[in-house]
Amino acid sequence: MPPLLELRGLTVRYRGESGDTTAARDISLVLQPGEALGLVGESGSGKSSVAGAVLDCLGPSTRIDGQIMFEGQDLLALPRPRRRAVLGRRIGAVFQDPFTALNPALRIGAQIAEPMMHHLRMRPADAHRRAEALLVEMGIARAADIARAFPHQLSGGMKQRALIAAALACEPPLLILDEPTTALDVTVEAQILRLLAELRQRKSISVLFVSHNLGVVRRLCDSVAVMYASQLVEIGPAERVLDRPAHPYSLGLLASRPPLEAAPRGSRLPAIQGQMPIAPQPELACVFAPRCPFCEPRCETTSQSMVEMPSGAHAARCWKTGTLGPWPRQAISAQAGPAFRPGDALVNVTGLRREFATRSGMSAWQVSFTGGLPRLRHQVGRVAAVDSVSLTISPGEVLGLVGESGCGKSTLGRIILQLIRQGSGSVEFDGHDLAMLAGSDRHDFRRQAQIVFQNVGSSLNPRLSVGDALGRPLTLFGLADRRTRAAQVDALLEMVRLPASYRLRFPHELSGGERQRVAIARALASKPRFLVCDEPVSALDVSVQATIINLLADLRDEFGLAYLFISHDLAVVAQLSDRVAVMYRGRICETGPTAEVLAAPRHPYTRTLLASAVDDLPAAGVADTPPAASEFLAVNIRGG
Amino acid sequence: MLIYALQRLGAVAATLFGMSLMVFLSTHALPSNTAQLILGQYSTPETQAALEHKLGLDQPLVVQYLDWAGGLLHGDLGKSMVMERPVAPMLWEAFGRSAILAALAMSVVAVLGLTLGVVAAVWRGRWPDHAASVFSYVGISVPEFYWGLVLILVFGSLWHLLPTSGAANWSNGLGAGLSHLVLPAATLTFTLLAHVSRLTRSSMAEVLESMYVKVARARGLPERVVILRHALRNALLPSITVLAQDFGFLIGGIVAVETVFAYPGLGQLLIFSMQRQDLPLMQAAILVLTAVYCLANLGADLAYGLANPRIRYGGALD
Amino acid sequence: MAWPIRASATAARLTEPAVLTLPTAAIRRWRRLPPALLIGAAMVLVLLIVAALAQQIAPYPFDQMHIRDRFSPPSLRYLAGTDEYGRDVFSRVLIGSQLSLLLGVSATVISMGIGVPLGLLAGFRRGLLDEVVMRGLDLMMAFPPIMLVLLILAITPPSIMKTAVIIGVLSVPPIARVTRSVTLDLMSGEFMEAAHARGERTWYMLLRELLPNVWPVLMVEASLRVVFAVLLGAVLSFLGFGVQPPSADWGLMISDGREFVDDAPWISIAPGIAMGLTVIGISLLGDGLREVLDPRLRGRR
Repeated sequence: MPPLLELRGLTVRYRGESGDTTAARDISLVLQPGEALGLVGESGSGKSSVAGAVLDCLGPSTRIDGQIMFEGQDLLALPRPRRRAVLGRRIGAVFQDPFTALNPALRIGAQIAEPMMHHLRMRPADAHRRAEALLVEMGIARAADIARAFPHQLSGGMKQRALIAAALACEPPLLILDEPTTALDVTVEAQILRLLAELRQRKSISVLFVSHNLGVVRRLCDSVAVMYASQLVEIGPAERVLDRPAHPYSLGLLASRPPLEAAPRGSRLPAIQGQMPIAPQPELACVFAPRCPFCEPRCETTSQSMVEMPSGAHAARCWKTGTLGPWPRQAISAQAGPAFRPGDALVNVTGLRREFATRSGMSAWQVSFTGGLPRLRHQVGRVAAVDSVSLTISPGEVLGLVGESGCGKSTLGRIILQLIRQGSGSVEFDGHDLAMLAGSDRHDFRRQAQIVFQNVGSSLNPRLSVGDALGRPLTLFGLADRRTRAAQVDALLEMVRLPASYRLRFPHELSGGERQRVAIARALASKPRFLVCDEPVSALDVSVQATIINLLADLRDEFGLAYLFISHDLAVVAQLSDRVAVMYRGRICETGPTAEVLAAPRHPYTRTLLASAVDDLPAAGVADTPPAASEFLAVNIRGG
Repeated sequence: MLIYALQRLGAVAATLFGMSLMVFLSTHALPSNTAQLILGQYSTPETQAALEHKLGLDQPLVVQYLDWAGGLLHGDLGKSMVMERPVAPMLWEAFGRSAILAALAMSVVAVLGLTLGVVAAVWRGRWPDHAASVFSYVGISVPEFYWGLVLILVFGSLWHLLPTSGAANWSNGLGAGLSHLVLPAATLTFTLLAHVSRLTRSSMAEVLESMYVKVARARGLPERVVILRHALRNALLPSITVLAQDFGFLIGGIVAVETVFAYPGLGQLLIFSMQRQDLPLMQAAILVLTAVYCLANLGADLAYGLANPRIRYGGALD
Repeated sequence: MAWPIRASATAARLTEPAVLTLPTAAIRRWRRLPPALLIGAAMVLVLLIVAALAQQIAPYPFDQMHIRDRFSPPSLRYLAGTDEYGRDVFSRVLIGSQLSLLLGVSATVISMGIGVPLGLLAGFRRGLLDEVVMRGLDLMMAFPPIMLVLLILAITPPSIMKTAVIIGVLSVPPIARVTRSVTLDLMSGEFMEAAHARGERTWYMLLRELLPNVWPVLMVEASLRVVFAVLLGAVLSFLGFGVQPPSADWGLMISDGREFVDDAPWISIAPGIAMGLTVIGISLLGDGLREVLDPRLRGRR
């Protein structure tokens, strides 16, 4: 059977100010009718460029070479209008951000109906009716109302469903999805994925699913292709690639995912050191060599080509496939947990409650028509973001706070640090009631309690160099004077494993992981005892996440820090926390030692959370038995 | 939408009230000034006091204001000091002439400016864009009265094509009437055109870069449909705001242009009243011009509210 | 890439030998700057030099009359001809640049001096202060600008400083609004929360965290305000309510030359050309700045 989509030597180059950058290099893959292929990679790997090249979405300053064979035709050879026609009728596309992908000025139904009217020449009435039917298929209740609504009236999940409906409107044989669930909540994500799986079965369409999330890809795809630094490094059936990866990078990626189990204090995640090169030169050497623990001199001098396994259409770009051992991990060092004594709490929260007005000012006035007459009402809705919360954190202890977005965990963290005013209840730090603090006591509290944020893009002032940003807390808390400041800044950089030369750099010159390290260093500059970590790794790539988690663990042990570790990801929380608290709609449902909560959850919400977090990947993704070397033939596939 | 409309109306009312206060205070707060001005060389303390009493200028400020404002609301705009005639008829006649000029200019600007802006954005980086850029730069870099003079020079002195002053006398026929309007309207249009086309271009260019336009293209819709149906609707929204802003320029421009072309409209009347220190006339002219500006803005705000689904249809469903 | 000026200052403070490598990087970047910025900057530089040295450069003093040479067309002796009193138009245009520039810059300085703190505080504090400030600004912006100016100038004797102050105050709303919206944008950034978590005082957050990020946008806006002030000042002088004769103000010159436009058009044309070049130069500079800043801003997010 001829493949539905075949990429032959696809290369995408962007023309920039300082020359060309190659985003995707010589990509060759095959998608059969009815097959789901996951294209996996971290940010910067080039996976979105591949999808963009197929969909003709890239800007005018791009050069695309190679062939994109779709249903026997080379899309790149077609003139643009014909190409667009094929794309519209035969390939559906869903992109990452549902919030900007819908035209704010047009109704939902109209946007879904439009491609049908255009490509299938349907009459408007028929097209609108079919659009509604599609919305029903997507699991949207009240489809008629939604079809007449405007995008700003819908939630994120509903917008994405509408976009999927629009993509499927002309019943295309191929659906391309580029990170469709990344911008959505975890439970919404689960729903969308379930929907996609159903649709796949019902309609037997082919799917090209681009994502950085291995678990998601695992749930949906038959085969997986892994990209690294613009190249395809591994491709094969999903169970093979994700269970017994043949390329060191895939191996490392899978190994560095935190397992959903309580980790002993002394354990560290296996991690891939370093970062993806910005200007890779695979003609000279293996691009992954600098980060590869299995690297040998030969890897740094010869370019690598795809090595195929004859039996299962599984190939990897490494001459050592078959002889890879497990990804190296640090030995678990024996570490005792913090010693608790009753009444020893560093942070003690009792009965905390904080309300917010849902509507205030002018929008609190509502006009309604009752009995044909207009009435003006003043409604100030209030919602409790944090409701009767009590918890304690002992010195040196890590309390994990888990919940979905909107449950109030971030608000709670900020109230504890007095960044948001507390409502009723009390927060005590080291025995002092924080609401009573003033003046120099407050200053002292600030020195001892700090925060690390999620958003690596904005947690550093773009106009301050790293050295200035780190020097400020030193100056503010009187920990250094002119002479010693430079040395202390260097010490801070070393503490987070950054070279001293980074002092002069500005945030936009740093990668996401590096910025987060600087943010951590800044928080630790004042030598605090307590750190609130608000989703510190959620915005980072998987391989970088593991290194930051390890760093936080090292710092915790080195300085005896206590953390309030906030995250929506149970596995990440479990890796670092001694105890876990589960939060739902402002209330704490369950608290307890991590192992207990994970093994035997008592609250139904905890059980729901656990259920949606568990996936089919084996613990730590470490390969127990790598495929035998004899199963591989060193065959050059199209020069790699 | 209703709340929004009420908010806007409230703002207009507040503005008009504020302006009337300012106009009143700046003149009536100095009674000696007014009386002195009127009496001129005949002013002595006695005659001043007498005149003040006659004009009611010795009453408390609040009473004076209420009198005056009350009169305004009844359409009594006072009596011109210099010309010894009621202000209202003069003012409305001049207003009519200015209105024709303004309407002509604004309609040309609205149509041409938006079109030019859209064309420049769609053909971004190519010659239509560069031509439009040069045009708009030159257009905004010099005040209208200068262009007026240039036009007078070219069409009046050099080529003797069009009348360069005075108003239309419609009894002489439509052609003759219009001919008086051409040069002033062209002058006004030129400057505003530059401004509107520039802002429309940047708003359209931004929309063309947006995600939903990319998605529309990815869905295989032809470029014509993408631009006209998807992009334009969103790009025109800020254009409404731009046109409203231009009304402010228009009012300023009208004053200058009417002066250059000696066109007997409201702008010229205002300048005339300022030069002669004819206070009632000046106040009335300023108030009317401000009111027009406020109403134009109100109209634009309401149009924007209707066109923007976020405002028109309000909040979230489900 | 860091702004060269900032990086070297930082480097100097930390006494790192890496200072030596920075200038070469800056020079390499000259060629990548948008042409609008370079041309605009050049024109503005010329303007500033001319304005500063006008008295020295001008062939004749601005009020020196050569009655016998009245209305003479442009020649080698009188580069832009003479006016109705025989004064050299070219010299008057050069000297007039001082007035326009003075007006433009002082009005802008006044508007920024009031508008920037207002916008910063409104965006930083929010709440009642923000509401009051915004309503006030809205009210100010609801009046046609020229009406306010004329109103005040009509009842008091005009002077250039008064005009500058009025135009400056009139320009406060746009500056304040831009400052406020940039501030609001920045406030959602977590580095502000981090500063709060360190217990930084208000003045530090406004001056050292917010302001350095607001400056780039303000520079662009400032160029627009200078242009606005120059043009509005010209209209006022033209109408007779700005600078008074015999000053060599461009608007005044154009107005005076009106009656002679048939016979001696150069009296009005020359100052107009000068004004046009001035405004184009400043606009190009502003646009160039915006082009340079935009990709940076986007790159940071």
